[in-house]
Amino acid sequence: MPAFLERSPPSRWHALNPLTKLIFATVTAMVGLIIGGLVGPLILVAVAVVLPASVAGVLGRLVRTSVLVSLPIAISTLLINVFFFPGGQEVLLRLGPVVATREGVGFALEILARILTISGAITLFYLTTRPSELVLDLERRGVSPRVAFVANASVQTVPAMLERASNIVAAQRARGLDTEGSLVRRIRGLLPVVAPVVLGSIVEVEERTLALEARGFTRPGRRALLWFPGDSAGQRAARWLLVSAVPAAALAAAYGLLAWLP
Amino acid sequence: MSQRSVRLLLGVVAFLVTTGVGVLFGRFDAAADPESGINLPGADSFALILAIAAVVGFVVYAGVEYAQTRSFASISSQFDTRTIVLMPIAIALNIILGQAVAAALRIPIYLDSIGTILVGALAGPIPGALTGLLANLLWTYVVPPPFHSDISGAFAIVAAAIGLLAGIFGRLGWLRPRPGRSTGQLAAGGFIAVGLILVLAYLAYLGYTAFGEFELAPSGDEGLFLVLGYLALALVVGTIIGLLALLFVRRDLSAAYVVVAGVATGIVAALISAPISANVFGGVTGAGTDFLVAAFRQAGADVQAAALGQGFISDPIDKVTTFFVVYLVLNAMGLRAKARFPQGDRLVESGPRGRVAS
Amino acid sequence: MACSPGFHETCGDTVLSLRGVSYRYAGATDPAIRDVDLTMQDGELLGIVGASEAGKSTLCLVAAGLAPRTIRGSLSGTVHLDGDDAASLQMHELAARIGICFQRPWTQLSGVCETVFEEVAFGPMNLGAPRDETLARTEEALTALAITDLAPRDPARLSGGQMQLVAICGLLAMGPAHLVLDEPTAQLDPAGTRLVADALAQLAASGASILIAEQKTDLLAALCSRIIVLQAGRVIRDGPTVEVLTDPELPRQGVPETSAGRLRRLATEAGIATELLDQALD
Repeated sequence: MPAFLERSPPSRWHALNPLTKLIFATVTAMVGLIIGGLVGPLILVAVAVVLPASVAGVLGRLVRTSVLVSLPIAISTLLINVFFFPGGQEVLLRLGPVVATREGVGFALEILARILTISGAITLFYLTTRPSELVLDLERRGVSPRVAFVANASVQTVPAMLERASNIVAAQRARGLDTEGSLVRRIRGLLPVVAPVVLGSIVEVEERTLALEARGFTRPGRRALLWFPGDSAGQRAARWLLVSAVPAAALAAAYGLLAWLP
Repeated sequence: MSQRSVRLLLGVVAFLVTTGVGVLFGRFDAAADPESGINLPGADSFALILAIAAVVGFVVYAGVEYAQTRSFASISSQFDTRTIVLMPIAIALNIILGQAVAAALRIPIYLDSIGTILVGALAGPIPGALTGLLANLLWTYVVPPPFHSDISGAFAIVAAAIGLLAGIFGRLGWLRPRPGRSTGQLAAGGFIAVGLILVLAYLAYLGYTAFGEFELAPSGDEGLFLVLGYLALALVVGTIIGLLALLFVRRDLSAAYVVVAGVATGIVAALISAPISANVFGGVTGAGTDFLVAAFRQAGADVQAAALGQGFISDPIDKVTTFFVVYLVLNAMGLRAKARFPQGDRLVESGPRGRVAS
Repeated sequence: MACSPGFHETCGDTVLSLRGVSYRYAGATDPAIRDVDLTMQDGELLGIVGASEAGKSTLCLVAAGLAPRTIRGSLSGTVHLDGDDAASLQMHELAARIGICFQRPWTQLSGVCETVFEEVAFGPMNLGAPRDETLARTEEALTALAITDLAPRDPARLSGGQMQLVAICGLLAMGPAHLVLDEPTAQLDPAGTRLVADALAQLAASGASILIAEQKTDLLAALCSRIIVLQAGRVIRDGPTVEVLTDPELPRQGVPETSAGRLRRLATEAGIATELLDQALD
């Protein structure tokens, strides 16, 4: 196999099987959700997000990306839950008609911790996993080559369609498309952008279909892959362990075992 | 018993078991609202339970098939090449438009289902559902910033339900153009469409009032609420005007069908997504819809009710708009392009103009 | 005549035969091609010319088996590949025997491969080839078109001509017996056209059977031994290249002249002696 197809992962964490990393991220998010509270998710973030991220050498990027992505949600959450929390008794601040309550702040912080867990776990996943490798691994495990194709193609189509869209938006803006301004104008401005992108892509569907069929795409059954990510018995065991952590956490939460966590 | 019967049976059993478990442990403590007689939080949870049960049933079916035949042939064979080629384009559309609307255009609709509904209409319910599911999962787990979204993965079930419904409506022929109809038919259609929208507005109003104290007497903290009310009203009115234009200018009866389909899909989507939004994200998703949630909270609603109220306003309007856009796209596609898709023949006019000879 | 490695062993026979073929697209009232009789021998290069909408693309789709199979529509008459009725073969079996290349390079890329190597390997992998065979075929195909240096590149970032070469390479890797090319240089700039033309000449020299539809008659004049002229879906001429392309009726049938032909005509009209010209052009 040609040298340039060999993958050389930059760290031990990167080298883990994609499915392992996927399950790890999902379980972290779900357990963070189940535990609730403030301290629980934060501990989880430290152990399951920050630690692996530093092993993988992506901690800096993770912090930047995760913060950036969760910023709009965080701001919205803070504003809404601090000021509009019904039934809040202890008033902390009064800004005209809106009131900040301690209960509101408490709730907002909890939600924030939860968002941090989810965002961090998922960011860690996609920073350390190439989409094509995940899809290859799934295909090796029995997912149909057609589903694998759809997944791969979707990831590649997003930047391609984006280029087309940005060209169109630039052209439209030169002709006066409004992205600011009144609500009605904004809504009206959607169609001239959507239409060319959508129609242009759909027109291509026919040709792409013919080309794919000419490349033997219709043959049913599996394919012999050139390469796929490695796996190990240890990782298999770890995956089962991780998956079982979810019901375990749910039971623990239901029986109040975690009530000591603020 | 044949392998297929075994699979189907196990899938159905899993569905029923999950539903039962959900009903037992679900949030059904809220009582029926005395005014409207509807137990909204209950119906809400139940819709989510049904959706999850459907997914579980499907997963069990697929799992059993894999155990039997080491492949998923009965599912993947439903998809022909053309559908497979369309799906990534549809998924990319969902992600790009949805992200653009959420991040750049601060309007309280999502527009992240255009691709899902398009695939549903052209290829069928299962491809539509799969498109929605994959789109949301990829959006969260795989697509990097700036097109990444942390929250979409949790709503994958909602997207799947939307795709399923779109496929069903497509199969029923609701998205077929019906131009040049008689005034009587158009009037009936217009009546139904406008009536539906007004019923919807009334339900939203009920949602407002059932969960809080809404007094029209302006006191300080009601101002925001009033503004939002007018905003929602403006959106509703705008949609009505656009659809009436389609009805009477082009004399196309399908405008009514589009409205009904959009409203129905929107209500289902709101029902399934509200519990997810409330329980996972506290009702706040960082999109333009958040100020609606804020308004409901301001009026005294708890998280669940606020999320549901916001959903009932945003989702139907979003889905009506999306179905509309998809309808326009389908019209623009032309006979040949549509006819080759699995459900294409349901999307062309019936009668001499639409006959697709093989 | 020797068959080159990488192509099926079909020496000396009729590799493609269409008899009385008419095809009508789904939803159309008139057939796009009517009563077409066409045979192609092994190692032959057959060119198809005609005005646009004369049925060239349709003929290519029928010859490759994509019509009516993928695009529906109705076909009458018979299509035989190496003696087998095309209707009896499954689509992927057809794909293994005939490779078809279209006008637009970018819609032929699979869209899922990050390197040219994987793009070329896509075909054999789909056909279920074991790993070693896939690797061998891919290397062979890349060498045959002399694009091994493009192997690690991203296919989406190539020039139009390079993309088209990758597309053809991907078809070769499946080991087809014949190639069908539907105006492969139509969307390319002159540099890209030359790239593809040289590659086709190389393939021709190694004994490939190629059916190529083109508007660029110069290209066909250089490559093909036989030319077919289509008009309104019917075959109106079928003969050796030189005869067909020097026919003065051709421009009226919507086919552009070759440059050589045009020079000759202008010279004759201007009264210039053509003997020297003939010497220079032949």
